[in-house]
Amino acid sequence: MTSTKIKSLYYYYTLTPQWQEQIVKNLGARLIDNKLLILPEDIASGGSIFLEVAPGLSVHLLDMTFHVQVAITRVPKDHNYYMIYYDIGDEITTHILGDTIHKAGYHSKLGMGFMDCGIKGVIIPPVGERTFSLRLLVDKTYYKSLAATNRSADVTDMLFDESKNTLFFYSHIDSRSKVLLNELKEAHHFSGTSFELKLKHTALYLLNYVVERTARFEPIINKLSQSDIDNVLKTSAYMLANLLTEFPGLPAMAEMAGMSGTKYKGLFKKILKESPLNFFSNEKLLLGQKLLQSGNFQNVNEVAYELGYSNPGYFTKMYKKLFEVSPGEVLVKKNSSSKE
Amino acid sequence: MREVIHQYGVELDWVADIAPKLGGYVDGNHIIVPGEERPGTRYVLRVNDNISVFVIDVSYTEDVVYRLRNTRDDFVGIYFNLTEGDAVHVYDNVTRLVGRWASNLAVFDADLKGDYFVKRGSTTFKMAVFVKKTALKDYFSKEEHYAQVLDAVFDPAQNTIVKYDRMSNHAWWLMNELKNTTATGLLYEVMVRGTVYGILSDYLDQTMNQEIILEKVVQEDIVSIIGSQYHLIEHITEPFPGISTLAAAALMSETKYKKLFKKITGTTPNAFFLTNKLSFAKEKIATGNFTVGEIADQFNFTDASHLIEQFKTAYGITPKEYLTLL
Repeated sequence: MTSTKIKSLYYYYTLTPQWQEQIVKNLGARLIDNKLLILPEDIASGGSIFLEVAPGLSVHLLDMTFHVQVAITRVPKDHNYYMIYYDIGDEITTHILGDTIHKAGYHSKLGMGFMDCGIKGVIIPPVGERTFSLRLLVDKTYYKSLAATNRSADVTDMLFDESKNTLFFYSHIDSRSKVLLNELKEAHHFSGTSFELKLKHTALYLLNYVVERTARFEPIINKLSQSDIDNVLKTSAYMLANLLTEFPGLPAMAEMAGMSGTKYKGLFKKILKESPLNFFSNEKLLLGQKLLQSGNFQNVNEVAYELGYSNPGYFTKMYKKLFEVSPGEVLVKKNSSSKE
Repeated sequence: MREVIHQYGVELDWVADIAPKLGGYVDGNHIIVPGEERPGTRYVLRVNDNISVFVIDVSYTEDVVYRLRNTRDDFVGIYFNLTEGDAVHVYDNVTRLVGRWASNLAVFDADLKGDYFVKRGSTTFKMAVFVKKTALKDYFSKEEHYAQVLDAVFDPAQNTIVKYDRMSNHAWWLMNELKNTTATGLLYEVMVRGTVYGILSDYLDQTMNQEIILEKVVQEDIVSIIGSQYHLIEHITEPFPGISTLAAAALMSETKYKKLFKKITGTTPNAFFLTNKLSFAKEKIATGNFTVGEIADQFNFTDASHLIEQFKTAYGITPKEYLTLL
């Protein structure tokens, strides 16, 4: 594996279909009707579709299974859009921003990202697994006018003043958006007559949901540099990859990020929408939910110990607080009689 | 009673025309009607070059007769309507009640005239979507099912596009999402656009599986068929009157009557009658006040076992099992 050279692709988006020409030129992809991209079969099967939905909004849906490892780098360009990224692939997509590998041991990943086109992004899709992801590209002025319907003019102006603030966050996909994306994933083929209408519908609803959701975020005004983002995401990636241990502690995380504790806490909260400790605890409990449902454990205590809790009662208490249901009710017991 | 003689179209020049007729005025995308009990929404949006939508979310404070007289014939109107049954009545053009609008999805060629009566006090939530015929034809052209008949379907000399249908559960859900959204201003526009694309996508999926019946239809034909449906419902407890009687009442040949009934409603007169008979019988059963035998008698089934058999075919369970589920 290490001897294989990773294929690299560099590209940037445009709100118009024009960006697709880079993929044709650099990877030998086929472009149909200026919207369907089919990669050569030796690289990936499946394809992607790009549509202009409304003035200021475009959508790119990608449903592919890669056969070789490809590092896909979105190059920061002087364009005027935000990218909102949703990933509901079957497996972990190794996600790198800057130089940070965003990957987890168990299947923990943050499926949604909101970023400025000025921030670099790298993705290494898993080989042999279905990658299903959707990106909204939204013109900045248009997004601001949408966001303004939910906030006061003062706050809106502050949030969108690029000399003082960078809009950027990483999170889980909210449940309403997940339902829409799953419908899209299950129901349709790119070529169906009604598919393009359905995709436009999905893009517009997702846009509405993300505007509503971000209106509830506490405004944290801060200008982020690429290295700030990389450094903070390095720590969230580290936590996601080490959910079975105890919380590494703020000083250790701030040191990993190369920042003062105060700065680190502020930036972390801005990007991940939670304090580092809450982020870690919630992710641990989310992983707990998956383990409970996995059918690999006999009882709640086993799961608690697997997650590194020394006191199973504490796990139960925290789990109940977050999900409003006790872990025992969620547990799918391991069927010891069935041997593979 | 207010009489509104108006037209629709993908191009939105009709908005300024209809507003004063409704007693209101145009304000941006909205038509504002002062004095309405609650601030209703009449919202108009050009979705793209080929599609426009008119969202109507109002409580009526007066009786209104709408007379649709389009001057353009280049579009099809697809009406998604959450006001069912009671509120909307179909009139012939001399204002005689012929029947109720018993469907929540209606598709009309712009060629067709229409006369509708909305009662005071009714609350309506409706999305009228106007789609250019050229765009609709383009959508259908990608389906094998339509390949052979595509030109005929869109040739006014051979066919009129018309259908009274039921919207899918998904379309119903989407309309409720829009109805309940808290979005305002430009964000509301995003929701409207998104909903239009969603319900159109659903509508296309739904039509793809339907039988295509080519026939020219005029308003009188629709009035006759709706009238015929209304007659069948009014006489639901009696035996099926027979095609020849129904066709004669509709002033059509039996062949034409059967063909138009199927084209406009998607079902045969027999099936329509039986479905409704069973639905009324089901309501009676649910009261728990009658035996199956009594109900069979009331609705002119041959006997109790005949009703049970038909009931089971329609709903998958016997009347008795149905009663225990309640």
